[in-house]
Amino acid sequence: MDNTFLVTATIVYHVDHAMQACKRLSITASNARALAIQAGDAAAGFRPLTDYINRFAIITKSSSHRINQLACDLSHIATEKDISDRAINHIEHVYRSAQAATYIHSLDPVKTRTKQRQKDLQHSYEEQLRELSSELNSLSDELRSADIVVTMSRIEALQAKGPHQNALNNVADNVEEVTASVKKLIDDAKRLVNRLKK
Amino acid sequence: MKTHKLYESATHTWFMFGRDPNKPDKIIDTNQYMVVTKENALLMDPGGIELFSSMLNTIIKSVPIDKITHLFASHQDPDIISSLGLWDQVLEDATLHSPWLWEGFIRHFGMEKITYSPIPDEGSSLSLNGVGIEFFPAHYLHSSGNFNVYDPKSGILMSGDIGAALDVDDAPLIVDDFEAHIPRMETFHRRWMPSNEAKSDWIRRVRKLDVQMMCPQHGRIFKGDDVNRFLDWFEQLEVGVLNAK
Repeated sequence: MDNTFLVTATIVYHVDHAMQACKRLSITASNARALAIQAGDAAAGFRPLTDYINRFAIITKSSSHRINQLACDLSHIATEKDISDRAINHIEHVYRSAQAATYIHSLDPVKTRTKQRQKDLQHSYEEQLRELSSELNSLSDELRSADIVVTMSRIEALQAKGPHQNALNNVADNVEEVTASVKKLIDDAKRLVNRLKK
Repeated sequence: MKTHKLYESATHTWFMFGRDPNKPDKIIDTNQYMVVTKENALLMDPGGIELFSSMLNTIIKSVPIDKITHLFASHQDPDIISSLGLWDQVLEDATLHSPWLWEGFIRHFGMEKITYSPIPDEGSSLSLNGVGIEFFPAHYLHSSGNFNVYDPKSGILMSGDIGAALDVDDAPLIVDDFEAHIPRMETFHRRWMPSNEAKSDWIRRVRKLDVQMMCPQHGRIFKGDDVNRFLDWFEQLEVGVLNAK
Protein backbone atom coordinates (compact mmCIF):
# COMPACT_ATOMS: atom_id res chain seq x y z
CA MET A 1 0.00 0.00 0.00
CA ASP A 2 1.18 3.53 -0.76
CA ASN A 3 1.79 6.00 2.00
CA THR A 4 -1.81 6.81 2.95
CA PHE A 5 -0.96 10.16 4.50
CA LEU A 6 0.80 11.38 1.40
CA VAL A 7 -1.86 10.02 -0.94
CA THR A 8 -4.79 11.49 1.02
CA ALA A 9 -2.98 14.84 1.24
CA THR A 10 -2.53 14.74 -2.54
CA ILE A 11 -6.23 13.89 -3.02
CA VAL A 12 -7.13 16.87 -0.82
CA TYR A 13 -4.78 19.01 -2.95
CA HIS A 14 -6.51 17.90 -6.19
CA VAL A 15 -9.97 18.38 -4.76
CA ASP A 16 -9.04 21.81 -3.43
CA HIS A 17 -7.96 22.83 -6.92
CA ALA A 18 -11.21 21.43 -8.32
CA MET A 19 -13.11 23.63 -5.84
CA GLN A 20 -11.17 26.69 -6.98
CA ALA A 21 -12.03 25.84 -10.57
CA CYS A 22 -15.70 25.58 -9.60
CA LYS A 23 -15.60 29.11 -8.23
CA ARG A 24 -14.47 30.25 -11.66
CA LEU A 25 -17.30 28.23 -13.18
CA SER A 26 -19.85 29.99 -10.94
CA ILE A 27 -18.54 33.35 -12.16
CA THR A 28 -18.71 32.10 -15.75
CA ALA A 29 -22.34 31.05 -15.19
CA SER A 30 -23.24 34.52 -13.84
CA ASN A 31 -21.52 36.25 -16.73
CA ALA A 32 -23.17 33.93 -19.22
CA ARG A 33 -26.59 34.64 -17.72
CA ALA A 34 -26.04 38.41 -18.04
CA LEU A 35 -24.83 37.93 -21.59
CA ALA A 36 -27.81 35.78 -22.54
CA ILE A 37 -30.18 38.44 -21.21
CA GLN A 38 -28.37 41.13 -23.20
CA ALA A 39 -28.43 38.99 -26.35
CA GLY A 40 -32.21 38.52 -25.95
CA ASP A 41 -33.91 36.22 -28.46
CA ALA A 42 -30.66 35.68 -30.31
CA ALA A 43 -29.45 33.63 -27.35
CA ALA A 44 -32.75 32.27 -26.04
CA GLY A 45 -31.43 28.69 -26.01
CA PHE A 46 -28.40 29.75 -24.02
CA ARG A 47 -30.31 30.87 -20.92
CA PRO A 48 -31.34 27.43 -19.59
CA LEU A 49 -27.77 26.31 -20.19
CA THR A 50 -26.46 28.99 -17.81
CA ASP A 51 -28.70 27.55 -15.07
CA TYR A 52 -27.24 24.15 -15.80
CA ILE A 53 -23.67 25.48 -15.66
CA ASN A 54 -24.42 27.11 -12.32
CA ARG A 55 -26.04 23.95 -10.97
CA PHE A 56 -23.06 21.95 -12.15
CA ALA A 57 -20.70 24.34 -10.32
CA ILE A 58 -22.74 24.02 -7.09
CA ILE A 59 -22.89 20.20 -7.28
CA THR A 60 -19.16 19.92 -7.97
CA LYS A 61 -18.36 22.29 -5.14
CA SER A 62 -20.46 20.45 -2.57
CA SER A 63 -19.21 17.05 -3.76
CA SER A 64 -15.63 18.34 -3.51
CA HIS A 65 -16.35 19.42 0.08
CA ARG A 66 -17.57 15.91 0.92
CA ILE A 67 -14.58 14.31 -0.83
CA ASN A 68 -12.27 16.62 1.08
CA GLN A 69 -13.86 15.60 4.40
CA LEU A 70 -13.78 11.89 3.49
CA ALA A 71 -10.09 12.14 2.57
CA CYS A 72 -9.30 13.92 5.86
CA ASP A 73 -11.25 11.27 7.83
CA LEU A 74 -9.40 8.56 5.93
CA SER A 75 -6.10 10.12 6.90
CA HIS A 76 -7.24 10.29 10.54
CA ILE A 77 -8.21 6.59 10.54
CA ALA A 78 -4.87 5.79 8.89
CA THR A 79 -3.08 7.63 11.72
CA GLU A 80 -4.95 5.64 14.39
CA LYS A 81 -4.28 2.47 12.46
CA ASP A 82 -0.61 3.30 12.21
CA ILE A 83 -0.40 3.74 16.01
CA SER A 84 -2.27 0.47 16.51
CA ASP A 85 -0.02 -1.33 13.96
CA ARG A 86 3.04 0.01 15.75
CA ALA A 87 1.71 -1.13 19.12
CA ILE A 88 1.14 -4.64 17.70
CA ASN A 89 4.65 -4.69 16.22
CA HIS A 90 6.11 -3.72 19.60
CA ILE A 91 4.03 -6.31 21.45
CA GLU A 92 5.01 -9.05 18.98
CA HIS A 93 8.63 -8.03 19.33
CA VAL A 94 8.30 -8.41 23.11
CA TYR A 95 6.76 -11.89 22.67
CA ARG A 96 9.73 -12.90 20.53
CA SER A 97 12.44 -11.39 22.69
CA ALA A 98 11.10 -11.89 26.22
CA GLN A 99 9.55 -15.35 26.05
CA ALA A 100 10.97 -16.23 29.44
CA ALA A 101 9.78 -13.06 31.17
CA THR A 102 7.83 -13.88 34.32
CA TYR A 103 4.79 -11.87 33.34
CA ILE A 104 4.86 -12.32 29.54
CA HIS A 105 1.31 -13.70 29.60
CA SER A 106 0.00 -10.54 31.20
CA LEU A 107 0.33 -9.21 27.65
CA ASP A 108 -2.11 -11.78 26.22
CA PRO A 109 -5.28 -9.69 26.79
CA VAL A 110 -3.39 -6.60 25.61
CA LYS A 111 -2.47 -8.36 22.37
CA THR A 112 -6.03 -9.60 21.82
CA ARG A 113 -7.46 -6.15 22.48
CA THR A 114 -4.96 -4.37 20.25
CA LYS A 115 -5.43 -6.92 17.44
CA GLN A 116 -9.19 -6.37 17.62
CA ARG A 117 -8.71 -2.60 17.46
CA GLN A 118 -6.39 -3.03 14.50
CA LYS A 119 -9.06 -5.16 12.79
CA ASP A 120 -11.80 -2.59 13.53
CA LEU A 121 -9.65 0.22 12.19
CA GLN A 122 -8.84 -1.78 9.05
CA HIS A 123 -12.58 -2.27 8.52
CA SER A 124 -13.27 1.47 9.02
CA TYR A 125 -10.42 2.29 6.66
CA GLU A 126 -11.83 0.07 3.91
CA GLU A 127 -15.35 1.47 4.44
CA GLN A 128 -14.06 5.03 4.24
CA LEU A 129 -12.08 4.23 1.11
CA ARG A 130 -15.19 2.73 -0.50
CA GLU A 131 -17.19 5.84 0.35
CA LEU A 132 -14.49 8.12 -1.02
CA SER A 133 -14.31 6.10 -4.20
CA SER A 134 -18.09 6.19 -4.64
CA GLU A 135 -18.22 9.97 -4.11
CA LEU A 136 -15.48 10.47 -6.70
CA ASN A 137 -17.35 8.21 -9.15
CA SER A 138 -20.57 10.22 -8.67
CA LEU A 139 -18.70 13.41 -9.39
CA SER A 140 -17.15 11.81 -12.47
CA ASP A 141 -20.64 10.97 -13.73
CA GLU A 142 -21.66 14.59 -13.26
CA LEU A 143 -18.59 15.67 -15.18
CA ARG A 144 -19.58 13.43 -18.07
CA SER A 145 -22.84 15.32 -18.39
CA ALA A 146 -20.80 18.55 -18.46
CA ASP A 147 -19.50 17.47 -21.89
CA ILE A 148 -23.05 17.67 -23.22
CA VAL A 149 -23.41 21.17 -21.76
CA VAL A 150 -20.21 22.24 -23.49
CA THR A 151 -21.42 20.86 -26.83
CA MET A 152 -24.82 22.50 -26.44
CA SER A 153 -23.17 25.79 -25.48
CA ARG A 154 -21.15 25.65 -28.69
CA ILE A 155 -24.25 24.95 -30.78
CA GLU A 156 -26.21 27.76 -29.08
CA ALA A 157 -23.26 30.16 -29.53
CA LEU A 158 -23.15 29.31 -33.24
CA GLN A 159 -26.86 29.90 -33.56
CA ALA A 160 -26.70 33.24 -31.73
CA LYS A 161 -25.69 35.38 -34.62
CA GLY A 162 -24.63 38.96 -34.23
CA PRO A 163 -22.42 40.89 -31.81
CA HIS A 164 -22.83 38.42 -28.90
CA GLN A 165 -21.60 35.36 -30.74
CA ASN A 166 -17.96 35.81 -29.79
CA ALA A 167 -18.78 36.39 -26.13
CA LEU A 168 -21.00 33.27 -26.05
CA ASN A 169 -18.23 31.29 -27.70
CA ASN A 170 -15.91 32.49 -24.97
CA VAL A 171 -18.36 31.21 -22.35
CA ALA A 172 -18.41 27.80 -24.06
CA ASP A 173 -14.59 27.82 -24.16
CA ASN A 174 -14.45 28.74 -20.49
CA VAL A 175 -16.87 25.98 -19.46
CA GLU A 176 -14.93 23.48 -21.53
CA GLU A 177 -11.63 24.54 -20.06
CA VAL A 178 -12.85 24.46 -16.44
CA THR A 179 -14.67 21.15 -16.74
CA ALA A 180 -11.65 19.60 -18.44
CA SER A 181 -9.40 20.74 -15.60
CA VAL A 182 -11.86 19.52 -12.93
CA LYS A 183 -12.16 16.23 -14.77
CA LYS A 184 -8.41 15.79 -14.81
CA LEU A 185 -8.15 16.61 -11.11
CA ILE A 186 -10.90 14.16 -10.22
CA ASP A 187 -9.44 11.45 -12.48
CA ASP A 188 -6.10 11.94 -10.73
CA ALA A 189 -7.83 11.67 -7.35
CA LYS A 190 -9.56 8.45 -8.49
CA ARG A 191 -6.24 7.00 -9.57
CA LEU A 192 -4.81 7.82 -6.15
CA VAL A 193 -7.74 6.13 -4.39
CA ASN A 194 -7.23 3.05 -6.55
CA ARG A 195 -3.60 2.98 -5.45
CA LEU A 196 -4.74 2.92 -1.83
CA LYS A 197 -7.06 0.00 -2.57
CA LYS A 198 -4.15 -2.17 -3.72
CA MET B 1 17.63 -2.63 28.88
CA LYS B 2 18.94 -3.25 32.35
CA THR B 3 16.87 -3.38 35.52
CA HIS B 4 18.22 -2.29 38.90
CA LYS B 5 16.37 -2.67 42.15
CA LEU B 6 17.10 0.54 44.08
CA TYR B 7 15.06 -0.10 47.19
CA GLU B 8 12.92 -2.85 48.62
CA SER B 9 10.73 -2.95 51.70
CA ALA B 10 7.64 -4.82 52.84
CA THR B 11 5.44 -2.14 51.30
CA HIS B 12 7.12 -1.20 48.05
CA THR B 13 10.03 -1.56 45.64
CA TRP B 14 11.85 0.99 43.47
CA PHE B 15 13.22 -0.07 40.10
CA MET B 16 15.44 1.78 37.70
CA PHE B 17 15.52 0.83 33.99
CA GLY B 18 18.23 2.05 31.67
CA ARG B 19 21.65 1.60 30.09
CA ASP B 20 19.93 0.00 27.11
CA PRO B 21 22.58 -1.55 24.82
CA ASN B 22 19.99 -1.71 22.02
CA LYS B 23 19.17 1.99 22.20
CA PRO B 24 19.23 3.56 18.72
CA ASP B 25 22.23 5.81 18.11
CA LYS B 26 21.94 9.57 18.47
CA ILE B 27 19.15 9.51 21.06
CA ILE B 28 20.03 10.55 24.56
CA ASP B 29 20.27 7.74 27.11
CA THR B 30 17.54 7.90 29.73
CA ASN B 31 16.76 6.40 33.12
CA GLN B 32 13.22 5.25 33.78
CA TYR B 33 11.92 4.53 37.27
CA MET B 34 9.06 2.50 38.69
CA VAL B 35 7.59 2.14 42.18
CA VAL B 36 5.73 -1.10 42.76
CA THR B 37 3.35 -1.52 45.68
CA LYS B 38 1.08 -4.43 46.57
CA GLU B 39 -1.42 -3.86 43.78
CA ASN B 40 -0.13 -0.95 41.75
CA ALA B 41 2.85 0.34 39.89
CA LEU B 42 3.80 3.91 39.09
CA LEU B 43 6.00 4.25 36.02
CA MET B 44 7.96 7.50 35.99
CA ASP B 45 9.19 9.32 32.88
CA PRO B 46 8.54 6.20 30.76
CA GLY B 47 10.67 7.54 27.92
CA GLY B 48 10.52 8.14 24.22
CA ILE B 49 8.74 6.21 21.51
CA GLU B 50 12.05 4.59 20.49
CA LEU B 51 12.36 2.91 23.87
CA PHE B 52 8.85 1.53 24.09
CA SER B 53 9.53 -2.13 23.18
CA SER B 54 12.60 -2.26 25.38
CA MET B 55 10.64 -0.80 28.27
CA LEU B 56 7.71 -3.18 27.81
CA ASN B 57 10.13 -6.06 27.43
CA THR B 58 11.90 -5.13 30.66
CA ILE B 59 8.88 -4.24 32.78
CA ILE B 60 7.10 -7.55 32.28
CA LYS B 61 10.08 -9.26 33.84
CA SER B 62 9.21 -7.46 37.09
CA VAL B 63 5.45 -6.88 37.08
CA PRO B 64 2.38 -7.93 35.10
CA ILE B 65 1.40 -5.18 32.69
CA ASP B 66 -2.01 -4.58 34.24
CA LYS B 67 -0.31 -3.61 37.48
CA ILE B 68 0.81 -0.34 35.90
CA THR B 69 -2.04 1.88 36.95
CA HIS B 70 -0.14 5.17 37.17
CA LEU B 71 2.27 7.03 34.93
CA PHE B 72 4.17 10.16 35.77
CA ALA B 73 5.73 12.65 33.35
CA SER B 74 7.92 15.24 35.04
CA HIS B 75 7.50 17.55 32.06
CA GLN B 76 6.66 17.56 28.36
CA ASP B 77 9.90 16.61 26.64
CA PRO B 78 9.90 13.80 24.04
CA ASP B 79 12.53 11.74 25.88
CA ILE B 80 10.20 11.82 28.89
CA ILE B 81 6.82 10.90 27.44
CA SER B 82 6.68 10.65 23.64
CA SER B 83 5.85 6.94 24.09
CA LEU B 84 2.50 7.93 25.61
CA GLY B 85 0.49 7.04 22.47
CA LEU B 86 1.79 3.46 22.69
CA TRP B 87 1.25 3.15 26.44
CA ASP B 88 -2.27 4.33 25.70
CA GLN B 89 -2.70 1.27 23.47
CA VAL B 90 -1.52 -1.24 26.06
CA LEU B 91 -2.73 0.13 29.40
CA GLU B 92 -6.40 -0.38 30.00
CA ASP B 93 -6.95 1.66 33.12
CA ALA B 94 -4.16 4.09 33.89
CA THR B 95 -3.75 7.66 35.07
CA LEU B 96 -1.01 10.02 33.93
CA HIS B 97 0.17 12.50 36.57
CA SER B 98 1.84 15.46 34.97
CA PRO B 99 2.05 19.26 35.34
CA TRP B 100 -1.29 20.96 34.63
CA LEU B 101 0.66 23.38 32.46
CA TRP B 102 1.49 20.74 29.89
CA GLU B 103 -1.80 18.88 29.50
CA GLY B 104 -2.72 20.42 26.14
CA PHE B 105 0.79 19.77 24.86
CA ILE B 106 1.32 16.25 26.19
CA ARG B 107 -1.99 15.14 24.69
CA HIS B 108 -0.36 15.72 21.30
CA PHE B 109 1.55 12.47 21.90
CA GLY B 110 -1.80 10.66 21.68
CA MET B 111 -3.97 9.80 24.65
CA GLU B 112 -7.46 8.35 24.47
CA LYS B 113 -7.78 5.79 27.25
CA ILE B 114 -5.34 7.09 29.83
CA THR B 115 -6.73 9.69 32.23
CA TYR B 116 -4.76 12.91 32.67
CA SER B 117 -4.45 13.97 36.30
CA PRO B 118 -3.04 17.51 36.27
CA ILE B 119 -0.60 18.28 39.09
CA PRO B 120 -1.15 21.79 40.46
CA ASP B 121 1.84 24.16 40.68
CA GLU B 122 2.19 23.63 44.43
CA GLY B 123 2.50 19.84 43.98
CA SER B 124 0.34 17.00 45.21
CA SER B 125 0.59 13.51 46.60
CA LEU B 126 -0.52 10.04 45.68
CA SER B 127 -1.16 7.05 47.90
CA LEU B 128 -0.41 3.67 46.37
CA ASN B 129 -1.68 0.97 48.72
CA GLY B 130 -0.74 3.18 51.64
CA VAL B 131 2.65 4.22 50.25
CA GLY B 132 2.78 8.01 50.05
CA ILE B 133 4.39 9.50 46.96
CA GLU B 134 4.89 13.26 46.64
CA PHE B 135 4.97 15.24 43.43
CA PHE B 136 7.55 17.83 44.40
CA PRO B 137 7.66 21.17 42.50
CA ALA B 138 10.79 21.76 40.43
CA HIS B 139 9.53 24.45 38.07
CA TYR B 140 12.03 25.95 35.63
CA LEU B 141 14.40 23.08 36.34
CA HIS B 142 14.39 22.86 33.47
CA SER B 143 10.84 23.05 32.18
CA SER B 144 8.49 25.86 33.21
CA GLY B 145 6.08 23.25 34.59
CA ASN B 146 8.21 20.54 36.22
CA PHE B 147 7.96 18.06 39.09
CA ASN B 148 10.17 15.57 40.89
CA VAL B 149 8.90 12.53 42.75
CA TYR B 150 9.78 12.09 46.41
CA ASP B 151 9.18 9.00 48.47
CA PRO B 152 9.67 9.94 52.17
CA LYS B 153 9.88 6.33 53.29
CA SER B 154 12.76 5.24 51.07
CA GLY B 155 14.26 8.73 50.89
CA ILE B 156 14.37 8.52 47.09
CA LEU B 157 14.05 11.71 45.12
CA MET B 158 13.47 11.14 41.41
CA SER B 159 14.91 14.44 40.27
CA GLY B 160 14.25 14.44 36.51
CA ASP B 161 16.81 16.56 34.70
CA ILE B 162 18.32 17.91 37.93
CA GLY B 163 21.55 16.04 38.51
CA ALA B 164 21.53 14.75 34.95
CA ALA B 165 24.84 14.00 33.29
CA LEU B 166 25.84 13.35 29.72
CA ASP B 167 27.71 10.13 30.20
CA VAL B 168 28.85 7.09 28.22
CA ASP B 169 26.10 4.57 27.40
CA ASP B 170 27.30 1.91 29.82
CA ALA B 171 28.16 4.31 32.65
CA PRO B 172 28.07 2.94 36.21
CA LEU B 173 24.75 3.28 38.00
CA ILE B 174 26.01 5.24 41.01
CA VAL B 175 28.27 8.29 41.22
CA ASP B 176 31.48 6.96 42.79
CA ASP B 177 33.71 10.03 42.47
CA PHE B 178 31.77 13.27 42.73
CA GLU B 179 34.61 15.58 41.62
CA ALA B 180 35.24 13.45 38.54
CA HIS B 181 31.53 13.52 37.77
CA ILE B 182 31.25 17.34 37.71
CA PRO B 183 32.45 17.84 34.10
CA ARG B 184 29.70 15.47 32.92
CA MET B 185 27.04 17.65 34.56
CA GLU B 186 28.33 21.19 34.31
CA THR B 187 27.47 22.19 30.74
CA PHE B 188 24.14 20.42 30.96
CA HIS B 189 23.07 22.35 34.07
CA ARG B 190 24.40 25.71 32.91
CA ARG B 191 22.60 25.45 29.59
CA TRP B 192 19.40 23.57 30.39
CA MET B 193 18.54 25.15 33.73
CA PRO B 194 17.31 28.66 33.01
CA SER B 195 16.81 30.24 36.45
CA ASN B 196 19.18 30.80 39.38
CA GLU B 197 16.20 31.88 41.49
CA ALA B 198 14.27 28.66 40.78
CA LYS B 199 17.43 26.65 41.43
CA SER B 200 18.04 28.26 44.86
CA ASP B 201 14.41 27.82 45.88
CA TRP B 202 14.51 24.13 44.90
CA ILE B 203 17.77 23.56 46.84
CA ARG B 204 16.33 25.25 49.93
CA ARG B 205 13.26 22.97 49.83
CA VAL B 206 15.23 19.79 49.07
CA ARG B 207 17.54 20.44 52.04
CA LYS B 208 14.50 20.05 54.29
CA LEU B 209 13.84 16.54 52.95
CA ASP B 210 15.61 13.40 54.01
CA VAL B 211 17.04 12.43 50.63
CA GLN B 212 19.04 9.20 50.65
CA MET B 213 19.19 8.78 46.92
CA MET B 214 18.79 11.36 44.17
CA CYS B 215 17.87 9.74 40.88
CA PRO B 216 18.13 11.83 37.70
CA GLN B 217 16.69 10.98 34.31
CA HIS B 218 20.12 10.89 32.64
CA GLY B 219 23.40 9.67 34.03
CA ARG B 220 24.25 8.35 37.47
CA ILE B 221 22.44 8.20 40.79
CA PHE B 222 23.68 10.20 43.83
CA LYS B 223 23.72 8.29 47.12
CA GLY B 224 24.34 9.32 50.72
CA ASP B 225 26.78 12.23 51.10
CA ASP B 226 26.90 12.79 47.35
CA VAL B 227 23.35 14.15 47.53
CA ASN B 228 24.58 17.06 49.67
CA ARG B 229 27.70 17.40 47.56
CA PHE B 230 25.45 17.82 44.56
CA LEU B 231 23.29 20.42 46.34
CA ASP B 232 26.40 22.41 47.36
CA TRP B 233 27.85 22.25 43.87
CA PHE B 234 24.53 23.18 42.22
CA GLU B 235 24.08 26.07 44.67
CA GLN B 236 27.25 27.82 43.54
CA LEU B 237 26.72 27.08 39.85
CA GLU B 238 25.51 29.96 37.74
CA VAL B 239 22.81 28.60 35.44
CA GLY B 240 20.98 30.01 32.45
CA VAL B 241 24.29 30.62 30.72
CA LEU B 242 24.88 29.96 27.04
CA ASN B 243 28.66 30.45 26.73
CA ALA B 244 30.13 29.69 30.13
CA LYS B 245 33.75 30.78 30.53
